[in-house]
Amino acid sequence: MAPGQAMFTGASGPLTPVWTYDGTVPGPVLRLRQGQPARIVVENGLNEDTTVHWHGIRLQNAMDGVPGLTQPPIKPGTDCVYEFTPPDAGTFWYHPHANSLVQLGRGLAGVLVVEETEPVAVDRDLLWLLQDWRLADDGQMALGFGSAMDAAMSGRVGNVVTINGTAPADQSARAGERVRLRLANASLARIMALRFEGHRPVVVAIDGQPCDPHEPDDGRLVLAPAMRIDVMIDTQGDPGKRYAVIDDFYDGLAYTLTTLAYDSASPLRTHPLDTPLGLPRNPLQQPDLASAERQEIVLQGGMMGGGKLAGVGGMMGMATPGMKGGAAWAINGMSMTGDGHAGMAPQFTLPRGATCHLTMRNETAWWHPMHIHGFSMLVLARNGSPVTHRQWQDTVLLAPKDTIECAFVADNPGDWMLHCHVADHQMAGLMTVFRVT
Amino acid sequence: MKLTYSLAALAVAIAMPLPAVAATINAVMYKNPQCSCCESYANYLEHNGFKVDIKPVNNLSQISSDAGVPADLEGCHTLMVDGYVVDGLVPVDIVKKLLTERPAITGITLAGMPTGAPGMGGEKAGPFIVYAFTKDGKAPTVYATD
Repeated sequence: MAPGQAMFTGASGPLTPVWTYDGTVPGPVLRLRQGQPARIVVENGLNEDTTVHWHGIRLQNAMDGVPGLTQPPIKPGTDCVYEFTPPDAGTFWYHPHANSLVQLGRGLAGVLVVEETEPVAVDRDLLWLLQDWRLADDGQMALGFGSAMDAAMSGRVGNVVTINGTAPADQSARAGERVRLRLANASLARIMALRFEGHRPVVVAIDGQPCDPHEPDDGRLVLAPAMRIDVMIDTQGDPGKRYAVIDDFYDGLAYTLTTLAYDSASPLRTHPLDTPLGLPRNPLQQPDLASAERQEIVLQGGMMGGGKLAGVGGMMGMATPGMKGGAAWAINGMSMTGDGHAGMAPQFTLPRGATCHLTMRNETAWWHPMHIHGFSMLVLARNGSPVTHRQWQDTVLLAPKDTIECAFVADNPGDWMLHCHVADHQMAGLMTVFRVT
Repeated sequence: MKLTYSLAALAVAIAMPLPAVAATINAVMYKNPQCSCCESYANYLEHNGFKVDIKPVNNLSQISSDAGVPADLEGCHTLMVDGYVVDGLVPVDIVKKLLTERPAITGITLAGMPTGAPGMGGEKAGPFIVYAFTKDGKAPTVYATD
């Protein structure tokens, strides 16, 4: 894999300079096998330091790709060998963890599929890597990565969404199929809520981890940056018909992402498969809640944050928080900015093997997909209501003022990051570190 | 007689030097779809003689920058009104002063989201300094304080 300069065609035709893995946006789909060792060589062809983070893979700390914290950055012109054995089958992804806002924003992202040891019975296994670009009128990447306003509000949300690197054309469909669709949101900041007109997708995995199959609330698949959702769709549409896929997350800004265009072929089968939809479980350790170690993190700051950052990041009450590269956000009163560096003091320490019952409380007026490195967390409750469907996630979306409770077994030693995956928010202080001894 | 008087009053209204104050003023507000204080501010303007067309956008920083608002003086939304840019939670008297005086500037801005500003609530912590800016590269100047 060699990040470098390349070109890619935006929606309106002009070429847009991007940064790529192996010359394509997104990078190549890496297909690994569950429990089989993998070796991946990353050559840095950029003019700046980089690293690769294997998002969602439970791996050795030294392979986690956080500069300063888990490895030295990969200097321009040098390479780095990552070796790990993925314990979990599912949909994961990879991206830089250095100068994240710019490197991810310029296109460095790819999907990592870990295949089940026994193949799952579907007619088609499809993948949509969703990326969001803020382009200027001339089709070039709009300048101003790191705008203070973006940092303190909802991040650098763009104006062009691509599926697998191209402006979405129709997606061809055939009636009577069972399709596994792997959705991955590699956007810097755009949260999506997808509705499939005329279809009832069933969620079978979140963030790579199989869950109890269920239809999402209101039929909307909410996919925050860095999240993945695997759905099973029995294509029950009529041959020759078209069905819109709509993203209506932002009030007043709904749009048609793409259209499922059925060919005229007669249905592959008249009744949907009656085989179970559920995927085989991954070997995750069950949390022991009775003896759990309780930790709480509180997310603070941002616009309309009530001046909570006064004295933390130099917010003066009058100015936009996060001006001039300062902090706009904090976790438990502490702003860790950037992408990771040496000497980041852990917010809390867990003895190896302990269950951590983690409460995340969002005091801000904004949405935050909180990503934990090295672990998948069982989501227990949202605002006091139990979360059903046995959802294990590495990225948990918090709405404004939400309180989330989750649990995981601290079975993997090292210093691990826990941060918001809205890249602007992470860079501007919404990040922390914890240690497993 | 009564009819004549009435017509005269109408003529006076048309000739008034402050049409912006007398009639409904149309404005377009570009705002982040998830920012709620902007809607309170729009409501405040509507109670003060404006008609505000709210347009949620995801690239507010781009719109604000294109409108000429200096990056370090950005407010939380961008309002286009009668040929001017009014950025942030500018008190309505200052907006009306701008539309009356019609200076040769691009617009005015109240940076950030100071507490006590219209739409924000809370206690005012200090004077609001509203800056005038242009697109010709000159440094912003203080337009008004409140």
